[in-house]
Amino acid sequence: MLTKRQNLLETIRGGNPDRFVKQYEFMHMIMEVPTGLEMKYGQTWKDQWGITWKWPEGQIGMFPVHDDEHKVLKDITEWKKYVKVPPIDTSDEAWAPAIAHANAVDRNEEFVTPFIAPGVFEMTHHLMSMEDALMALYEEPEAMHEFIDCLTERELAFAKVLIDKIHPDCLFHHDDWGGQTNSFISPSMFEEFFLPAYKKIYGFYKANGVELIVHHSDSYAANLVPYMLEMGIDIWQGVMTTNNTPELIKQYGGKISFMGDIDSGVVDFPAWTPEIAAREVERACKNCGKLYFIPCLTMGGGWSAFPGVYDKVSEEIDKMSKAMF
Amino acid sequence: MSKIQEVKTMVEAGKAKLVPGLVQEALDEGNAAGDILQAMIASMGVVGDKFSKGEAYVPEMLMSAKAMSKGVDVLKPLLTGESSSSLGTCVIGTVQGDLHDIGKNLVAMMLESAGFNVVDLGVDVSADKFLEAIKQNQNVNLVACSGLLTTTMPSMRETVQTLKASGLTGFKVIVGGAPVTQEMADEIGADGFASDAGSAAVKAKELVKA
Repeated sequence: MLTKRQNLLETIRGGNPDRFVKQYEFMHMIMEVPTGLEMKYGQTWKDQWGITWKWPEGQIGMFPVHDDEHKVLKDITEWKKYVKVPPIDTSDEAWAPAIAHANAVDRNEEFVTPFIAPGVFEMTHHLMSMEDALMALYEEPEAMHEFIDCLTERELAFAKVLIDKIHPDCLFHHDDWGGQTNSFISPSMFEEFFLPAYKKIYGFYKANGVELIVHHSDSYAANLVPYMLEMGIDIWQGVMTTNNTPELIKQYGGKISFMGDIDSGVVDFPAWTPEIAAREVERACKNCGKLYFIPCLTMGGGWSAFPGVYDKVSEEIDKMSKAMF
Repeated sequence: MSKIQEVKTMVEAGKAKLVPGLVQEALDEGNAAGDILQAMIASMGVVGDKFSKGEAYVPEMLMSAKAMSKGVDVLKPLLTGESSSSLGTCVIGTVQGDLHDIGKNLVAMMLESAGFNVVDLGVDVSADKFLEAIKQNQNVNLVACSGLLTTTMPSMRETVQTLKASGLTGFKVIVGGAPVTQEMADEIGADGFASDAGSAAVKAKELVKA
């Protein structure tokens, strides 16, 4: 039996996997990395960039607050005045838990994987609000280029420290680029503003020992796949069924792999049932096939919003492995 | 190209800086304010349609709405009574427990561009707040409820059912958001459903004219 790592590589390289890759099993997440990301259920807080967040009790996610009082970046032409780039903690104390965790991972079995969020696009709208960020791409393109360069440099500076400290061999990186049915911005705008940023960021990781880039965008983004290839993404995690995943596999398999096709919104909800999970896993596995595809909930991490869903999906993937391999 | 046609083209192209000047030029040529407004509303219809078809993206829609809004600022002093061509008042909000606002804001913008007076209650809006807003505002003929989270679908149901059972009349209820489907809208008793901001404006007009 192949290790999780070997089985993943066989799957994405068009070899001979001996089973489906089961969701996030190949990524051993090092959540102790001091990225500054905070997730405080039931609270309101300010993060290291000054962004105010709310996570209401009973809800499955957190939200940036963007009224006039709380918006961090109020005028893109004066972004240097408003945006204070937080320092990177390089202390041994801050990194010790992450280093210890990374050292304990059997790298023959799994990939040592830091979890990085939010991405460059998300940072623009977390700081400015979605409306301001998207209109600024038209109205103040030069300032947006400068601002995006600044965010990119911050990511690169963090990447350097991260690589020095834990030598990851995989990266799990969030940046949601679309809604259910389309990308937020046009492919040409994406190419102009965000492709250069990600070519630098993912290029740096790849040049420094990171073997796999897994990018999360639980959305439609089929129109951005050519740019995903150009920036060096190996696996697009979060691919929703609206992208027509089997068609993407046919078109791009061998150059990139697709992880998802089990929409969290359909499977992972308060009244979820094992039957729905089983139906969706079977559909995904049968339609997408054994190569260049990893059946997975579209959720951006190895968990589910409602207890039991993630494990049930994994169990059903095991069943499909038995049936199809 | 006529000035009105230029206004139309520039709203569609989202040229917010050019539209006010062109609107003024169209007025100077002797065009009625109401006609210019109708031309801009038609432009937003085109943009909404392109958005629904996936041919336009969020920034294009935002820029067109901004361009129209700048044009309306020029027309406002001249728009009185019927020439404002209001379709009525729409109370809109994201249902209780849900803080998502992007989709709701896009719908509000498109409804405003289509000719509704929009009362935006924001996010995390209880059924009681919707009811209060219907009572406090004149001529409310549409209530739009948005929700993105599967967890807030019970809240969507409760809101629609509270509105329908309130005894208040004269308005239709439209619902939308990622997990919402036509079937769900029917099941919870909403009058209409739209899957995106472009089709929301079309459906809204249809509902209030029915």
